[in-house]
Formats: sequence, C-alpha cells, structure tokens
Amino acid sequence: MATVTLNNVVKRFGNFPVVHGANIDIKDGEFVVFVGPSGCGKSTLLRMIAGLEDITDGEIAIGGKLVNDVEPADRGIAMVFQSYALYPHMSVEQNLSFGLRMTGNPKADTDRRVKRAAEILRISELMERRPKKLSGGQRQRVAIGRAIVREPQVFLFDEPLSNLDAELRVQMRVEISRLHKELGTTMIYVTHDQTEAMTLADRIVVLRGGHVEQIGRPLDLYDDPDNQFVAGFVGSPKMNFIKGRIVGRDAHGVVVELAGEEKTRIVQPLTGAAPEAGSKVIVGVRPEHFGIAGEGDADLTLAIDVVEHLGGTSFVYARTANGEDVVVQRDAAKVPDTPEITVSIRKSYLFDEKGLRLR
Amino acid sequence: MRNRNATAYRFLTPYLLIFAIFWVWPIISSFLISFQATRTVPWRFAPGFNWGRLIGDPAFFNALKNTLLILVIQVPVMITLAMVMAVLLNSPLLKARGLYRFAFFAPVVVGEVAYSAVFRLMFSLDFGIINKLLNSIGLPKIDWFSNVTPAMALIMIAVTWRWAGYNAIILLAGMQSIPEDVYEAATLDRVSKLKQFFFITLPLLKPVIVFCAVLSIIGTMQLFTEPFLITERGGPGGGTETLGLLLYRQGFRSLNFGYASAVAYTMAALAIAITLVQLWLTREPK
Ligand SMILES: Nc1ncnc2c1ncn2[C@@H]1O[C@H](COP(=O)(O)OP(=O)(O)OP(=O)(O)O)[C@@H](O)[C@H]1O
Ligand SMILES: [Mg+2]
Repeated sequence: MATVTLNNVVKRFGNFPVVHGANIDIKDGEFVVFVGPSGCGKSTLLRMIAGLEDITDGEIAIGGKLVNDVEPADRGIAMVFQSYALYPHMSVEQNLSFGLRMTGNPKADTDRRVKRAAEILRISELMERRPKKLSGGQRQRVAIGRAIVREPQVFLFDEPLSNLDAELRVQMRVEISRLHKELGTTMIYVTHDQTEAMTLADRIVVLRGGHVEQIGRPLDLYDDPDNQFVAGFVGSPKMNFIKGRIVGRDAHGVVVELAGEEKTRIVQPLTGAAPEAGSKVIVGVRPEHFGIAGEGDADLTLAIDVVEHLGGTSFVYARTANGEDVVVQRDAAKVPDTPEITVSIRKSYLFDEKGLRLR
Repeated sequence: MRNRNATAYRFLTPYLLIFAIFWVWPIISSFLISFQATRTVPWRFAPGFNWGRLIGDPAFFNALKNTLLILVIQVPVMITLAMVMAVLLNSPLLKARGLYRFAFFAPVVVGEVAYSAVFRLMFSLDFGIINKLLNSIGLPKIDWFSNVTPAMALIMIAVTWRWAGYNAIILLAGMQSIPEDVYEAATLDRVSKLKQFFFITLPLLKPVIVFCAVLSIIGTMQLFTEPFLITERGGPGGGTETLGLLLYRQGFRSLNFGYASAVAYTMAALAIAITLVQLWLTREPK
C-alpha cells in the first residue's frame, strides 16, 4: 500500500502538450477516479504513473519515493488494461501465474497467490480455458486477477469496464468496490463515465484537455463544483445552463435576470466580489432542483417538447422563452397534461462568462 | 438466380478453358505419361517402366539426398536468420526502417541470372572477395566449385541470402500484429525482454513461422536455379544435383518425359508429405 503523488507533471508528445502540470495527492488506500471526456489525457496520466510513458516534466512519487527514473516493473504497481491485454496463448491459470513464474517466485507461493486471486474473483472453474473462450466479464476478471497476483502497492485501472454491456458493468462495478474494501490497496481508476466515478470513488479528479479541473469527494463535486465544466460533467442528467444577466444587488445577494424572461429574477448570495450590474452570467440548475411553482425564488414557464416517464420519476424536456433546452425532473404524478409547465428554481449555481463559479 | 450464374459462367469460360488446357490437363497428362515408356517412339503404356527405374536409380537417390540435405540445413538456418532480422526491423531503436525493409526485400527482385553471376564471382577461387576475406583473417582459400561440401554450402548460402529477407518481412508483419499492450502487461509483470520474446512473441508467431517454413520447404523441394547457374548444373560431378535438376536433365536434355514426370510427381508428393507432417507437429493443442 502506498501514497501516489504527482507534482507538476507535464507530458508532451513531440511538441503536442497533452498534460499541463498535474498536481494530485493520493492517500494510502484511497480509491481515486480520473474522469473526463475522451482525449483529455486520463490514460496518459495513468501510463505515466505506471512508467509505460516518460514524464516530460515534473515528479511522480509512489510511497514517498521518487519514481521518475524507476523501471515500470519496479514501481510496485499493477495495471488492468481497457483491452484486458491477456496472453492469448495461455490458459487462465498461466495468465495469472506467468509473471511470477518468469521471475522465479517459489512455486508454492505462486500457487497460493493464484488460488487466492481465483477465489476472490470467482474464476476457479475457468483456470484451464484460453482467453478466447471467455466472456467479456470473465476476461475482465482474469485481467484483474493478474493484477491481484502481483500483490502491488497500487492498482491502476484504465477504463476496465468500457467493453462490457450495461448490466455487467454495474455488476463489475460493485465487485471492484468490494475488492477495494477487501484488499484496502490504493487504487487509481480511469473512466469517462461519471456514474462509475461517482459510485466508486473516494475522491474524483476531473480532467479536461490535460488540465485538472477539480479534485474532490463525489458529493462535494456535485454540491459545490468549481466551474461550469465540472458542474455539467457530474450528475445525470446534466445540469441545465441558462443565460442570464446581473441586474443589481439586494440584501441577500446579487439579482440575476434570465435571458428572455424579464420577470424571472433569481437572488444568489455571493461572498466573493460580485460582478457589476449588466454583466452576463450563466445560471446552472440541476434537473432535480426545479420545484413546483411558487416553491422557490422565481417561477419559470417552459414549453414542453417531450416527456420521458421512467416509472417513479419523469424527465420533462422543455424550452425557455429564449429557446434554451432545459431538462426538468418531476414525480410522474406531477407532470401536467398541458403543453406548458411552470417550475420554480429551488437551487442554482452562478458562473461567469468564462465558466468559473461565482460564489 | 440460375440465370445469373449461367451468365457469370459464360464470362468465366475463356479463363476456365485456358485453365483447363494449360493447367489441369498437363497435371493429368504428366501423371499418365509417368506410366508410359517414352524413350522410343511410339510411346507405350508400361506402368513399371519409370517408377521401377526410379526406385533403383542412384542418380535419383543422389538428387533426393542432396535436396533433403539442403532442406534440412538451409530452411531452419534461414528461418532463424529471418527471425533475427525481423526482430531488428521491429526495434523502435532502428532508424531508416524503410531503407532496411527495402534492402532485405531486394534480393527477391534481383534477376536470377544476375544474382547467380555475382555469386560465382564473389566465391571464385582466385579473385573472389570471399576467399580474399578468408585469407585476410588467416584462413585458407576454399575451392567452392570443385569440392562437394563447399559447393553444397555455397548453394545453401545463396538460397538463404535470396530468401531470408523475404521471410523476415512476413515475420515482421506477424510481429506487428501482436498487440503492444500484451508486452506492456508483461513488462509490468516484471518479465524481461528476452523472456517476452521466447514466451510471448515466438508462441504467438507460430502460425506465421509455420507458413514461412511451408513456403520454404516447397521452394527448396523445387530448387533449380542455384545448382543450375551457380554450381554449373549440379556440379561438381552431380554433387549438388537436386530433384529439380534431375527432372530438367531427363525431361529437357534426354527428352525422356515419362521419367521426368515420375520425378515431378515424387517431388510434389514429398513436398506435400513433409508439409503435412510439419502441420501435424505444430498443430494447436486442443
Ligand atoms: N503516443 C502518442 N503520440 C501522440 N499523441 C498521443 C499519444 N498518445 C496519446 N496521444 C494524445 O494525447 C491525448 C490524450 O490521450 P489519452 O489516451 O490520454 O486520452 P484519454 O483521456 O485516455 O481518452 P479516452 O477516454 O479516449 O481513452 C490525445 O489527444 C491523444 O491524441
Ligand atoms: Mg484512454
């Protein structure tokens, strides 16, 4: 078990910058998820921790020891690849034991570790099969088993569930959580799926375009996002963003008027410096934070496009007078039969024009 | 549907006709000829004439022995060499990869006569560069063309030079189809590069290696150009005569088509038999 520290880590492929100075502190035994859209540098970051990719600049330490120049094999990490990367010509048993056999680990110890991993992952019945004859979920277990057998200080997972179907994904997600509890080892997990991130992580690192946007516990990111990107990325369905304008100040905070809705005014308490009246802002409202008319600051009438009934709750896809798309979450019973719906805004977030949170 | 098939076959007819006349018929015909006595006109049916002669012909067994000897030594050496070349070509450290790939492939494109002439020159007793080199490191000259053992070695060297690069390119293609992350996984499993080669690359490359070996076996069974042009028609004294040469001598010098056909069928049967044994030995375990 070990801490992992990234200090100003930079990565360039040739002249093409991919990671711009990442600072991440991972505690011993923590489950940290790197999340972000495709191409934001998640895999690159993970591969740099593994040592499969050189670091252009900065420092990486594992267990307090600088590993910039340490071979991947000697970093005490094990990695689970998105493509599984199983040895195709070996049986499951051989796949698990290969590394230990090749490095002259005593046979009894190898057998013990392989047996234990197989039991943890419930693949004991598959030991003689080749990877080709396994299902996606089984292959994934073998890939994780190969990592467990190494008894590493840190586990690295690169989108391990992205090749599985939805149901299996949920199941494996639970298993990985269980595994973390059982082993208590530091785990770094990469995904572009915010649900995976929210459900698995002790802490989430949100990345975009090679920048760390925010680091925090799942609910902190949800409740208190630093910027519009994080606010939009965390939570499902996404937070709604409605254009607005600061019109003044009152005793409780700044007064914001929604574009195209002169009568809808929101009062937002701000502790920091408020932008001057007239400046444009973006108001973020989560679908679940729309209330029934009269519950909040202001009411807003929306034209309904489509209603999705999921059973208990429904999602109303609607438009503001200004033509902006808005998703509203409602109890199924409370969706009106009319072409319009009037909602109140119970809770909102304010962002400046660059997308930075105003608070 | 039927109609469309009929139309398709009408378009195929010219090709199928030519295929039947110049490909299928000669195969059948030579099979039939191998059962005829063709030394005197008119030819007559005599099943034991050629096949009987074959079984007791020292020239045939000499050619067979030479061919198999070349096969057994040259093919493994060449495949091993091709493997080394492929590994070097695949190395990320290599600069100007395209140039090497071309250089390795070039011998296949060079005209057979030109290449044979160059080999004769290089290995010539008095002014060949090979003997000069041997001399310069204190070894005695070798008379490559008048002794059987050096002559056989020369044939094997020449064939290897000509085809090793070709096989290396095929092996390289196979190597490049092995996913990089399998090696990365092995690296993280603390497996050394050398062990990765023996326990990952080689086993995964087995089908490609078998393919190269089969091609080479078939090629060597028919070996003709090198003993004909380089060691001058299987010289010295039949010491490098191969089945291909024997066939040529019988068919085109003595115009004994019956015997030549019997030799040709023996060559084909041997090539098939050896290939089958090879495929059986290297089959995937169930
Ligand atoms: N070997 C490489 N050479 C050049 N550019 C690369 C290389 N590997 C990755 N990149 C670039 O670096 C950026 C980040 O890639 P990376 O694979 O880390 O993204 P990712 O966040 O893992 O995306 P995904 O979710 O699609 O896996 C991309 O723009 C990619 O094109
Ligand atoms: Mg990736």
